[in-house]
Amino acid sequence: MIKVKNLYHSYSNDESYAVNDISFEIEKGEIFGFLGPSGAGKSTTQNILTGLLQLQKGEVEVAGFDVKHIKNKMFNKIGMSFEQSNVYNKMSGLENLEFYRKLFDVKTREPMELIKMVGLDGKEKIKAGKYSKGMKHRLTFARSMINNPEIWFLDEPTTGLDPAIAANIKDIIKEENRKGVTVFLTTHNMFIADELCDRVAFIVDGKIRLIDSPKELKLRYGEKLVEVEYFRNGELLKDRFSTVVEEEKNQLIEVIKKNNVQTMHTKEATLEEIFIKVTGRGLV
Amino acid sequence: MKLWYSFTKELNLSAKSWYFYIEMGMAVVLLLILIFLVPEKFENRSSEYLYLDLPKVVKDQYREALLEKDLDESSEWVEVKANKKNYRAELYETDESKIYLLENMEALNAFSGSERVPTVHVHVNKDSQIIHTYYLQGYETQKLKNLLLVFHNQKAELDVIDEYSDNIVVRSIYQNIEPLSDRQNLIPVFLTFNGSLMSLFIISAYIFLDKNEGIIKAYAVTASSVWHYLLSKIGVILLTSIATTLIITIPVMGFQPDYLTMILFLITSGFFAASLGLYITSFYKDIIQAFGALYIVIVIMIMPNISYFTPSWDPDWIKIIPSYIMLQSFKEIISINGNIDYVRVASLGFAVLGLDIFVLANYRFKKTLTL
Repeated sequence: MIKVKNLYHSYSNDESYAVNDISFEIEKGEIFGFLGPSGAGKSTTQNILTGLLQLQKGEVEVAGFDVKHIKNKMFNKIGMSFEQSNVYNKMSGLENLEFYRKLFDVKTREPMELIKMVGLDGKEKIKAGKYSKGMKHRLTFARSMINNPEIWFLDEPTTGLDPAIAANIKDIIKEENRKGVTVFLTTHNMFIADELCDRVAFIVDGKIRLIDSPKELKLRYGEKLVEVEYFRNGELLKDRFSTVVEEEKNQLIEVIKKNNVQTMHTKEATLEEIFIKVTGRGLV
Repeated sequence: MKLWYSFTKELNLSAKSWYFYIEMGMAVVLLLILIFLVPEKFENRSSEYLYLDLPKVVKDQYREALLEKDLDESSEWVEVKANKKNYRAELYETDESKIYLLENMEALNAFSGSERVPTVHVHVNKDSQIIHTYYLQGYETQKLKNLLLVFHNQKAELDVIDEYSDNIVVRSIYQNIEPLSDRQNLIPVFLTFNGSLMSLFIISAYIFLDKNEGIIKAYAVTASSVWHYLLSKIGVILLTSIATTLIITIPVMGFQPDYLTMILFLITSGFFAASLGLYITSFYKDIIQAFGALYIVIVIMIMPNISYFTPSWDPDWIKIIPSYIMLQSFKEIISINGNIDYVRVASLGFAVLGLDIFVLANYRFKKTLTL
């Protein structure tokens, strides 16, 4: 659905690239996470893919359209949810969606259905200017689904939302993905990426450092250890056992059998730890 | 259809914004200024202060001559103030001036010394000749001084240009034209700046406002074209300028102007101005950065006003400034038997030029709209 080959972009039209020779492909139905700290080149890449920034150098194909010669028809197939809410404040939530649905040439979704989906029902007739930040964010998110997009670009979709609403948004993303929608997720939140993405790309200083599935990354970079806390003779002890060395595997079994185990954790690496290990950079 | 949806949405948003009502309110304020503060005809008669230090017989002859020219053939006694003191004066009002005959030299000196107005002391010398002594203030032009000399030569029957001037034939090229009153003469200025040229600045404000709120980005990822977005904004601005123009014009001019031509001209000149505004806007990220360029345009566009109010200063280069053509066109539209062909040609010119600039602006916005 998305093909990017040797993409470069410079805001100053010189050799100082915000995006520097990146290439990747995204298959239909995939959730692809584009992860990196602020200023890494995530938004620049996404803006080029959605036609918001002009393609300078490289080849980009989105939903079968060459982004170099962008056509309006391409936008019938894509949806974009922005990190910063950008709705008409003087129009109600419903009016916002009613207006945007008229700008597409394909069958669109019922605005009220989307409003209910993101939990804004009952507030659809209130001016968006009176919405809270989170409500505006949900309206922006709902709007991005109005044209039943085949490719869905999501920029920090859960930022600033409370955990319950964020969980609802994640559920919607999973549900749409189950229906076959391809998702391009830009975030610096490794937990949401871990939970949702089939594959992730780590981008730092405009370059992609790594692309793989979260599971593979954890296997590759995580330590194969189990950490156990247990009581023996009234004393709380803490030990680590390898899950691959035969002798330690047996020791672990013995500890479980003979002692009162309090906690037990695999020492699987988080995506954030892997990111730091691979890029040498934090995510802020 | 998408263009129509965008236009109705912009209209809806405009009706909900304060700015729309400010524009309408300003049109009403301008109208009230025209009706209540601007006179039908400006007072441009000069005030002249004389002291006739003459024998009674001669003084009476002067008075009789003045009465012949007086509008109601009678004088009136008034009190005039100079140097914080009141003086009695006999007032004669003619087409061209208000003549105050002061009673003594003290009054004349007060006006000359503290009120900074030219005064005349008329007296008789020892050879029984009548002498006019002018107390000028230093700001009078050489033209005025020459005119005074010609006037007194005429009086002394030494005039050499009388015969020549009497034989000059004056023919009016345009027949059936009535000059506009001073009040009506201000309308083209209001229409040019409040109607057509305001589009240039308003469109910039609208675009930068949308940029700030990120609305343009949301629009840019729909299947609608950028030019739909731009043209729908221009459409709303034109509609507003037609409304404000009619608010100002109808109460003052009635139904005498050719309103169809006026609306056509408002649309084409407004479209040109708005396209120019778009083009300038496309080079900048925010209104603060754009202000320098907009300010230069404002200053250039104001310059033809000088020529409008001072017709003797009308160099060729000023005639190519769009606001010059707008001022002249609006003047022709509201004048009885005005030159409508001039207005039509100007409309066509603005339409063609506006379209060219709009195409350029659209091309640039495709690149920079979301920056």
